[in-house]
Amino acid sequence: MTTTLIANLSRYVPELIAVVTMIGALFLEAAVGKFDKAKDYIFSAAGIGLILCLISLSKNMSLSATPIFTGAVIIDPFSTMVKIIMVLGVLGSLYVAFVSKDIAENHKSEFVILAMGVLVGGMLLASANNFLTVYLGIETLSILSYVLAALKRNDGKSTEAGIKYALYGGITSGVMLFGMAHLYGILGTIHFSEVLESLSTLDQTKMLILLPSFVLVFVGLGYKIACVPFHMWSPDVYEGSPIPVTTFFAIVPKIAGIAVIVRITHIFFDKSGVLQDSWVGFLQVVAILTITLGNILAIGQKSVKRMLAYSSISHAGFMLIGVLVIDQIGISAICFYGVIYLFMTLGAFGITSFLGDQFNSDRFGIFDGLIKSHPFMSIAMIIIMFSLGGIPPFGGFIAKYNILSASLHKGFYTLAIIAALNSVISLYYYLRIVQSMVFKDATYEENIKGFTFINQLVMLGICFPILFLGFFWEKIMITATNAHLLVK
Amino acid sequence: MYNLLNWILWLPVIGMIGICFIQKEKKDMIRYAALLTTFLTFGLTILLYLNFDNSVGGIQKSFSVTVPWIPQFNIYYRLGIDGISLPMTLLTGLLFFLCILSSWTVEKSVKAFFALLLMLESAVFGVFFALDFFLFYVYWEVMLLPMFFLIGVWGGENKEYAAVKFFLYTFFGSLLMLVGIIALYYAAGKGDNAFNILALSGGRWSDLSISLFGTEWAFDKLFFWLMFIGFAIKVPVFPFHTWLPHAHVQAPTAVSVILAGVLLKMGTYGFLRIAYPIFPQASVYYADFVALLGLINVLYGAFCAMAQTDVKRLIAYSSISHMGFVMMGLSAMTPQGMNGAVLQMFNHGTSTAMMFLLVGILYERSHHRWIIRPDGSKGFGGIASHLPKFTLIFIIGMFASLGLPGLSGFISEALIFLGIFEKYTAFTVMAALGLLIGAAYLLWMYKRMFFGEVNPDIKGYKDMNKREIFYMLPLCVAVIFFGIFPAPLLNIMKASVGQLVTLLDR
Repeated sequence: MTTTLIANLSRYVPELIAVVTMIGALFLEAAVGKFDKAKDYIFSAAGIGLILCLISLSKNMSLSATPIFTGAVIIDPFSTMVKIIMVLGVLGSLYVAFVSKDIAENHKSEFVILAMGVLVGGMLLASANNFLTVYLGIETLSILSYVLAALKRNDGKSTEAGIKYALYGGITSGVMLFGMAHLYGILGTIHFSEVLESLSTLDQTKMLILLPSFVLVFVGLGYKIACVPFHMWSPDVYEGSPIPVTTFFAIVPKIAGIAVIVRITHIFFDKSGVLQDSWVGFLQVVAILTITLGNILAIGQKSVKRMLAYSSISHAGFMLIGVLVIDQIGISAICFYGVIYLFMTLGAFGITSFLGDQFNSDRFGIFDGLIKSHPFMSIAMIIIMFSLGGIPPFGGFIAKYNILSASLHKGFYTLAIIAALNSVISLYYYLRIVQSMVFKDATYEENIKGFTFINQLVMLGICFPILFLGFFWEKIMITATNAHLLVK
Repeated sequence: MYNLLNWILWLPVIGMIGICFIQKEKKDMIRYAALLTTFLTFGLTILLYLNFDNSVGGIQKSFSVTVPWIPQFNIYYRLGIDGISLPMTLLTGLLFFLCILSSWTVEKSVKAFFALLLMLESAVFGVFFALDFFLFYVYWEVMLLPMFFLIGVWGGENKEYAAVKFFLYTFFGSLLMLVGIIALYYAAGKGDNAFNILALSGGRWSDLSISLFGTEWAFDKLFFWLMFIGFAIKVPVFPFHTWLPHAHVQAPTAVSVILAGVLLKMGTYGFLRIAYPIFPQASVYYADFVALLGLINVLYGAFCAMAQTDVKRLIAYSSISHMGFVMMGLSAMTPQGMNGAVLQMFNHGTSTAMMFLLVGILYERSHHRWIIRPDGSKGFGGIASHLPKFTLIFIIGMFASLGLPGLSGFISEALIFLGIFEKYTAFTVMAALGLLIGAAYLLWMYKRMFFGEVNPDIKGYKDMNKREIFYMLPLCVAVIFFGIFPAPLLNIMKASVGQLVTLLDR
């Protein structure tokens, strides 16, 4: 018993490191919180923890897939890849938090602790193998997120965001729990592998009874990835939260949610039949709505943060297309999309954060005429915007190409055409930022304080993969192709 | 590494990188660097022409390049050239060289302007050389980036609107094309050649069918339309033309020249290289409709041109009209019609470039382009009596454009009419009417601008200087030479066009 536990724990090192880092940061905050340089210590400790986590994750990448802890958790290459994306996302948003002025200095260490906690929840979700673990992951992720959203305690919008997030989250996780209970009531188990077994014994008509319960489960997950019609909270929360938190929300919970949806879809709906058809049809409608509505609503926004919130909704819709094709091409497309999306989101929010700190605003006007005074950062932003819009030769194009390729491979022509044409709509609002930077005249003379040399280096580090993966994406794509799921 | 196509493709990029390292203040050095780059590139295209084997149809083996790019996903860096892309290559090389000369007076952000122009040149060559569908798409899109900035930053008063409209419109078309590209990739069995344009050609797709929006469609007919819209937006074919007048009028002179001279041809080139060879059955099936759209282009463009009071807008609409002839020639699917279409692509490139350059020269002096101002007064008048050199060159350009025998426009239009007459007699007659309207709007414009009462402003204008004459001269020679003796161009394209016609005839 103990030996298997230890063997299991050896697979669980990345999560353990994350937990230890979180607790360590908590103690460190309590111990040195009053000192001047406390923030530096805590951030560097968290950074080291995350890098260790990355190293151990990359070791896990080559291991074969195994269920651990009596099958409650599964460690397979797909979950490891998703965790790598999440850890990188946390690392990036920690950096944004470190330099941002949007979070008060004495709250920054709280951000570290909470973000690490959300990461633990996300990692649990990515490798969840029974419904209880899914619920546990979602709640760990959510409850800490509510606090994160309200991190600007004295700001009305931020507290409003926290409340909205909590209320909405509470309802959806209740609905999800109801769906899970329903499934348990019919099938008598919560383990994915056992659910699969009992599913295969049911005949086709009885299976249809299960569909509503799966949809109820989807409500909880769809809320996390902010897909239409569960997206209402996201613009308000994104706008109200401090920018580093928004950056964090746009990456970690979203990727974790997608990972669970991928797993559920691949395990339960792999066999063709009436259940698969209706689930795929449902996801298709959700994906189309998510992409289209996200894009259309983004057009009219006056705040860059809100615009990016809606754009991240539509990106989640793109990733859903990768889910509903139910094959390895789809999974690899999602993984690739996730990697590119991570860099693009970090870059876009990072630059918005630097500018937002200076002008205390997140209107489009802050970008006016930036190319004349700060060409380097503007070119970085242009690259990120074109990449988000899916223009070659940037990584975003390859990501969209892979998703379209996956959907056409399975013959979803209508879906592919609608998704492709949505890129035109999305390009319109991404171009607005490029337009303000390049075509408009600057309304201010001052030097942007946030554009320090180190920040420029960081942006170079973010833009490099976006450019590089636009030309030479083979390696990452092969890694993503190997990131298969364990379906038992 | 000795391969001409590689050099032509990457030399402008090298020049662009070089320009990025020149200090912003050294404007002349930047201009000369750009000039040198484009001059060398043009020289290389001439070298390509000299080494080209006219007797061989299809892609010439001696120039082809195949390098694995992303071999795991069957994407290769495949370049090649045949008799259809060579005239376009020559045209591109020439026009970019002349455009750099004509942009000598650009003072706003000189460095970025020339760097973007060179980037555009490389992308345009890429489109004409690419034989891998993925590579083709990448170049097709990359071309939009410099165009967006060139129109948006250096353009006229309504430049932002024009730049965004141009970008989104073209992007819309190319995304439909992208769906087609991926679908073909899977239809071809995602093998080594699944992105190879040549391997996809030949019409293997007429038996497949797919379901879209709940109905069954023939694979080739559906994807012919997806490709068609992508290319038609670029040409532009009638219902998709609305971006063109804005983009042309707002763009700076050099960019208008490139847009009308080269970029519009990319659309028709797309038909010749991709839509027709890959979906020959569907192309033949829909030829009547395409011919009709071409006819609408001819007449609609001509009538719109007649109504314009802005001379640049007038020429923009005349481009729509002239590209209609190309579309009609293409849908004839006869050797004369096809040859005429390719020749018209080249000839329209030279004549319309002349017109835009001349309007640019005039604009530099007058800072307006009104034939008739909004208040009803004349914008110009009596130019002929004060700017004789300008008038002479303008006459050559204008007559080449309206198709006067002895100048280049006539030969290609005559060939097109020869080609389509048997198949579409009624269309030919109506298209000939388009020629007449063409003569009418150009001569009317000429009368109002160059004759009549001398506008007092005109007296202050200087005639063309040496630089301006120098860059107009090659175009004058081209329109006269190819008007009298089109054989060199026809010889290049004959074999390749013949191959395409045989394919379509089957």
